[in-house]
Amino acid sequence: MTRPLTGVRVLDFGLLTAGANTSAMLADLGADVIKIESGAYLDPFRVVGKMDDDEGWWNRSPQFRFTNRNKRGLALNLKDPGGQRVIRELARHCDVVVENFRRGVLDRAGLGYEALKAINPRIVFAAISSQGDTGPERMNVSFGSTLDATSGIASLTGYEGEEPRISGMDVNYPDQIVSLFATGIVITAVMEARRSGKGAFLDFSQREVASFTLGEEILAASADPAHRLAPRGNTEGDAYRCGDGRWIAATLDDPALDCSTQDRDAAVAALLARGIAAAPCNDGNDLLRDASLAGVTLVRDEQGGLVKGLPYRLDGKGITIERAAPDLGQHTDAVLRELLGYGDAELLALKRSGVTSTTPTVGDV
Amino acid sequence: MTTDSLPLQRFTIVEVNDTGVPLCLRLATSLAAKIAADLGADVLKIEPPGGDPVRRAPPLLANGNGPGASALFQFLNTSKRSLVLDLKTESGRANLAALLDRSHACLFEEPASIAPLARGGKATAIEIAAFPAEMNAAARPVSELAIQALGGLMHMIGEPGRKPLKLGGHQASYAAGLTAFTGLTAALAAREAGQRAPHVRVSLAEVMQWVNWKAASGAAATGASPGREGKASEFQVVPCRDGHVAVVYTVTQWPATRNLIGDPRLQDEKFATRAGRRKHIAELYEIIAPWFADKTRAEIQKTAQAKGVPFGPIFTPAELLETEQYVARGFLAKMTHPDIGRLLIPQLPVQWNGRSFAPRPAPTLERAELAA
Repeated sequence: MTRPLTGVRVLDFGLLTAGANTSAMLADLGADVIKIESGAYLDPFRVVGKMDDDEGWWNRSPQFRFTNRNKRGLALNLKDPGGQRVIRELARHCDVVVENFRRGVLDRAGLGYEALKAINPRIVFAAISSQGDTGPERMNVSFGSTLDATSGIASLTGYEGEEPRISGMDVNYPDQIVSLFATGIVITAVMEARRSGKGAFLDFSQREVASFTLGEEILAASADPAHRLAPRGNTEGDAYRCGDGRWIAATLDDPALDCSTQDRDAAVAALLARGIAAAPCNDGNDLLRDASLAGVTLVRDEQGGLVKGLPYRLDGKGITIERAAPDLGQHTDAVLRELLGYGDAELLALKRSGVTSTTPTVGDV
Repeated sequence: MTTDSLPLQRFTIVEVNDTGVPLCLRLATSLAAKIAADLGADVLKIEPPGGDPVRRAPPLLANGNGPGASALFQFLNTSKRSLVLDLKTESGRANLAALLDRSHACLFEEPASIAPLARGGKATAIEIAAFPAEMNAAARPVSELAIQALGGLMHMIGEPGRKPLKLGGHQASYAAGLTAFTGLTAALAAREAGQRAPHVRVSLAEVMQWVNWKAASGAAATGASPGREGKASEFQVVPCRDGHVAVVYTVTQWPATRNLIGDPRLQDEKFATRAGRRKHIAELYEIIAPWFADKTRAEIQKTAQAKGVPFGPIFTPAELLETEQYVARGFLAKMTHPDIGRLLIPQLPVQWNGRSFAPRPAPTLERAELAA
């Protein structure tokens, strides 16, 4: 089936959510995504989601599986000149690079934008980083909720009159929204490269993406230095505890609401019938059970594992998972044969020299 | 792309603002179209007589005489043109149909009276809705708060024994707006490749659920849903001399974090593993909190970053105007508003070959009505 990005190939160095999910969204639109890891540096999601210490633990992480379906996986050592050579050869056959390493990592390996552009001038290179590729804080590290804080989102979140709040490690909200924007910009640049033959260096700052969601507040503050904001609890309504101990949220003009005699579903139904916007405060199990909410946003892969679906519907449908997330190095040989014409002898030499592998050389990352 | 051309400038896009649409949907549609407009697309915004209600929505831009234009409207409608059409009339709908036949894509909110018109034209339809198609939207009033509840985000924020909290800002609307922008580019890419473009439908509820995937993934893996942990969480907000700092570190960053704080009690075996730290979290925070109390956010950030520890000082939108990193990157563009004067507005959060996309001010209603 022809899809919008059929014929586009992505060299994916994306890790965790911000990078790896941008490539996943490109795969969902038809791109051929080849994910590069190495035995010496796994996608941290393989480790964060570690279920046990048994052989092959690095292939069983739910978080990794959620984000990397519909990709092929290669393990090539970026620190080894042999691995760098193979990746430069692969770049010739790719249209897009997605990476979210700390700034400078790919440059030091001779795999930065300038190096790859010299090999393939139409390459679209999406560099997704905490603070962007320039500026005094470009080398700063962050992890998910660091950016809730530094972007301004936390300053507007919290119980009224109390300290600000972050979305926390089970949400890491700023990480989740980057790919929703970056994917569209990459597609825009791919369209441009198809027309002009020229690629682009796309420099994304995750912190800026998060602050962009508060654009009107920043704008208002620029007009009025007295535009000061603090946590205000739940605006445009509130959360209420029902008789069954569960919570609902409702947008009411008069904040007084007593639903202590009703269970959650009855309370929501009664409010909706009065024309009031209301909803249960769903937890993860509620979301799994709601067939319409989970309809396209969650999917099962061929092994029955639950994985991430689509944030939108295309022609009314979601996606089918054509391949489960790859085991470490699962497709190294197949892809090097297919794209670079490598034979048995070359593949064996790469394996013997440690450039390729299927097992990690590290326990924790 | 040359320096004077913009990447989407060959595309014409219509954004339809039908009457009676919930605010949270309006914001999503407007954001998606604004991104396309800042990237050069010719975006024509169709407003009802009297204008898009967002023109009156807070926060308002202060001018010398008190409240003025809506900052929300200004932010969400940069670089667009605007046209007032009464879509309740035959001629208004005929005008829209003619516009759609000359356009590449149409963004609109569903349910809308013009939905059949928008779906049937030559322009690719990008629909923004509150709920998945299976949920009866007509029987479900909607708000940003209700979507954050439904998508499970509120369950994740706050103290476990207290009420769930909404994440600040219009996050449900904006996440859906970013999604609709990406759906729009996919449709344009398909058209340009000579394919039939897919019909794109974005619902705020599905986007919120998708963004909050770790709740579902956690529940599926263990049977128990993750939820708000508040003071039991490893990541907490602590006060410092001039505000607050979010304490954030990964498992591998714990040794550096422990050394940064430098209290010998942190060497205790019980803090050596993540499980141990979680079990003794109150005690851990008692030990580390004093380190923050006498330092400023700037000192904390500098000292922590030097050790590779990602603590996050909490800044307000007003403070972001002066953030060194944002100033150095030119993230905030100068924009002159006809009534208020010079403003600073966040640009699209991407630099393309080092270039930013400076937005043009949102269209005024007076000029729009003249154009109609």
